Amino acid sequence: MRALARDARALLATEIRVRVRSVLADRRKLLGTATSLAMFGLLFPWFFRANVTSFAERVAGGNVPLGPLGAAFTGLCVLGLTVGASTGFGQERAGRVGPLVRTSVPPLAVSLARLASEVLRGLTVFALPAVAVLVFLGAGSGGPVLPLVLATGALPLVLTGLLVGRLAGDAVRYLNLAVGVSLWVKAAAAVVVSLAFFVGTQALLFAETADSGGNGANGDTGSPLASVSIPPLLPGEPLQAYAGVVSSPVGGSPRALGWAVGALLLAAVPVALVVALRVETRLLFREVSGDRAGDGVAGTSGVPRPFTVGPGPRVAWRYLLRTRRDPRILSHLMIVLFMGIGSLGNVVQDPGSITGIGPPVAVIGGAVIAGAAYCMNPLGDDVDQLPLLLTSADSTDLLLRGRALAGAAIGLPLALGAGVPLAAIGRSPVFAAWLAVLAVALVFAGTGAALGLGALVPKFERYEYMSVERPHPSNYVVFGYLIGTMLVGGLGFALVDRSASGGAGALVGVAWTVYLGVVGGVGLAGYVYARRRFDDLSLDEF
Amino acid sequence: MSEPSTSPNADGSPALSARGLTKRYGSTTAVDSLDLTVDPGVVFGFLGPNGAGKTTTMRIFTGLIDPTSGEARVAGVPSRDRARLVDRIGLLPEEPPLYDELTGREQLQFAADLRDVRWDAVSDRALGLCGDLDLTGDLDRRIEGYSKGMRQKTAFVQAVQHDPAVVFLDEPTSGLDPRAAKTLRELILDLAESDTTVFLSTHILPVVEEIADEVGVLHEGRLVAEGPIEELVASAGAGDSDGAAASTADDAGAGTVDGGASPADDPDLEDAFLELTSREESVWTDDT
Repeated sequence: MRALARDARALLATEIRVRVRSVLADRRKLLGTATSLAMFGLLFPWFFRANVTSFAERVAGGNVPLGPLGAAFTGLCVLGLTVGASTGFGQERAGRVGPLVRTSVPPLAVSLARLASEVLRGLTVFALPAVAVLVFLGAGSGGPVLPLVLATGALPLVLTGLLVGRLAGDAVRYLNLAVGVSLWVKAAAAVVVSLAFFVGTQALLFAETADSGGNGANGDTGSPLASVSIPPLLPGEPLQAYAGVVSSPVGGSPRALGWAVGALLLAAVPVALVVALRVETRLLFREVSGDRAGDGVAGTSGVPRPFTVGPGPRVAWRYLLRTRRDPRILSHLMIVLFMGIGSLGNVVQDPGSITGIGPPVAVIGGAVIAGAAYCMNPLGDDVDQLPLLLTSADSTDLLLRGRALAGAAIGLPLALGAGVPLAAIGRSPVFAAWLAVLAVALVFAGTGAALGLGALVPKFERYEYMSVERPHPSNYVVFGYLIGTMLVGGLGFALVDRSASGGAGALVGVAWTVYLGVVGGVGLAGYVYARRRFDDLSLDEF
Repeated sequence: MSEPSTSPNADGSPALSARGLTKRYGSTTAVDSLDLTVDPGVVFGFLGPNGAGKTTTMRIFTGLIDPTSGEARVAGVPSRDRARLVDRIGLLPEEPPLYDELTGREQLQFAADLRDVRWDAVSDRALGLCGDLDLTGDLDRRIEGYSKGMRQKTAFVQAVQHDPAVVFLDEPTSGLDPRAAKTLRELILDLAESDTTVFLSTHILPVVEEIADEVGVLHEGRLVAEGPIEELVASAGAGDSDGAAASTADDAGAGTVDGGASPADDPDLEDAFLELTSREESVWTDDT
């Protein structure tokens, strides 16, 4: 047992050292990490400072608001579940370290070290806010007792959430690797599950809000937290009871149910840890079929029309072909899916709304996908092929054009094929015609702008995201592009609306000219910048 | 070190030339004042211990990185002029740059598209090479299912299908079975016969000995020897007045795994290589 702990500790220390060094050695990573820590560590706690301090003052005054406390505990539990599940699903595959660790370290030690390092990494970003919240609690209550009591009580919740979530993530990861269906079926299943989760959550939220009327039932009306919409969503009773037990040293009223929940949590931690370690150790050595979906598949695909018209379109076709064979190339678009899933949820709940929200969502979504699909990390995600690309094409212009066209080939059909007909049905043919102009402008300008953004922050190193290890685009860049396109698309949509209503002809004409000039200019500038940047690319850069 | 050759090619330039080529990474000098000239149609074996700077030199010649100082030219075109350079070169790096999701045929067609060359124009040559390398039957399978050797063959065809003036090959026989390796060596000789210059970087000295016309030995970033193999081997066989070098060569001979003849009896390229690189190490050690 001691040897096991020693091996696990050694692996964990090595893993942490490697991670820290990789961040410190890369200015861009360091900046990204510092930004994340600042955002979560400073802004987030500052936003909730008044609520937390007010809560602590009420506790100090002898009134423990169990509703908000139970909700906060539930939130911590959900946080643990999320971090655990995401690390379990997205953990790096055993293959990369397998040959070494399999022959030199006991498997259980490997599992233990991996679990610890990945969970620690997942929680790092929450460390600062946690400290800040504890400080606010201490400041509000006038002493260290309240933060100490709550931190102690929260620990079993977070740990249970982490370990149960980890088990769930392991199960999904294993299914993902072992189930012998096509990658497209898996992708579709992921979308359906995400959508079902979102719609289900929304339904629960609305139902509970209607039934509970917020926190009033817990006597918390007037509390700053009463306006927070989370509590009605959460299963309050057992965790409120647990909150009563935890807060008993500072005036809370414990109940039998709370003691039972506490005992359950304390028992769950070691049990879940043992089960998670056993499962992961088995997975470490279990051979699975993996995702080499094309292994042994025969058949060369010719370039179809209209992609035969030149080298740029032919290159574009290769990107599309590769994606058709392996949709994981677009795994970075999950963030776009998560952003758009709200609209899909609304349509599922109210099918009649599709003609209203459908056109803007389709046009803006089409532009987002056109840019984000292949242009957010141009050449970065071709890092292994750069020796070929840079010694074959006389300019990266060809590759960039190919990427832009490939993106447009996906985005334009969505924007024109879905957005315009829906607009014709829901609004008018004139509106639909103006929308078509907007769609074309946004899609092509979007690809250019995305190329520029991708060239500004290229990512050449591989990392695992959504269980896919490759050089993914920067999440900040994807997110920034998404928000920017939504804003620019929103403006365009207002212009379309104004144009279709037939008001102020000259003014609308000027507005269109300015709008298209700016949007087109940004797209062109992005494209030109990307070409210059990558024509001068050197392998020394990474 | 031999004088740089002045043999011209069709447009009067040597196939490869480097003048004072230097590449530094911080305080480390990867390539140090390299002067080199290679004539057209020559198979040039580029040798050196691990970390000697061979890949860095190859990357500079192919425009993948810029030198810190000095100049490299390929068929008269400066290596920094990537737009013109790509017409003249083909590259097989150590890791074959292929897309797993494509079939072998699609990969070769893609490589032609990158050069804006019609597939029809190169397909005969490409498919002929695939036939020679026993790859034809696998061309319509996806590359993700290829063995290491099949990847290497595909990448080789990709590097030469457009008939470049200079081909850079980094460990081209890596992962190939003996039959395929032999075929590849023959194909390299065919390339040279058709006036293509082959810049061959490898650790497998018998391969170089068999097919290279000239060799250059790089050690700690410096070109310590250059010329026809026979001259290098002869100089090794003749021994050296430098006591340190002679003793190092003896040591190297004593350490030969196959227990063959000592360098003094029957010197070969391996002996010459070991002597050259050992001599430099001895000099370096003495200096420090």
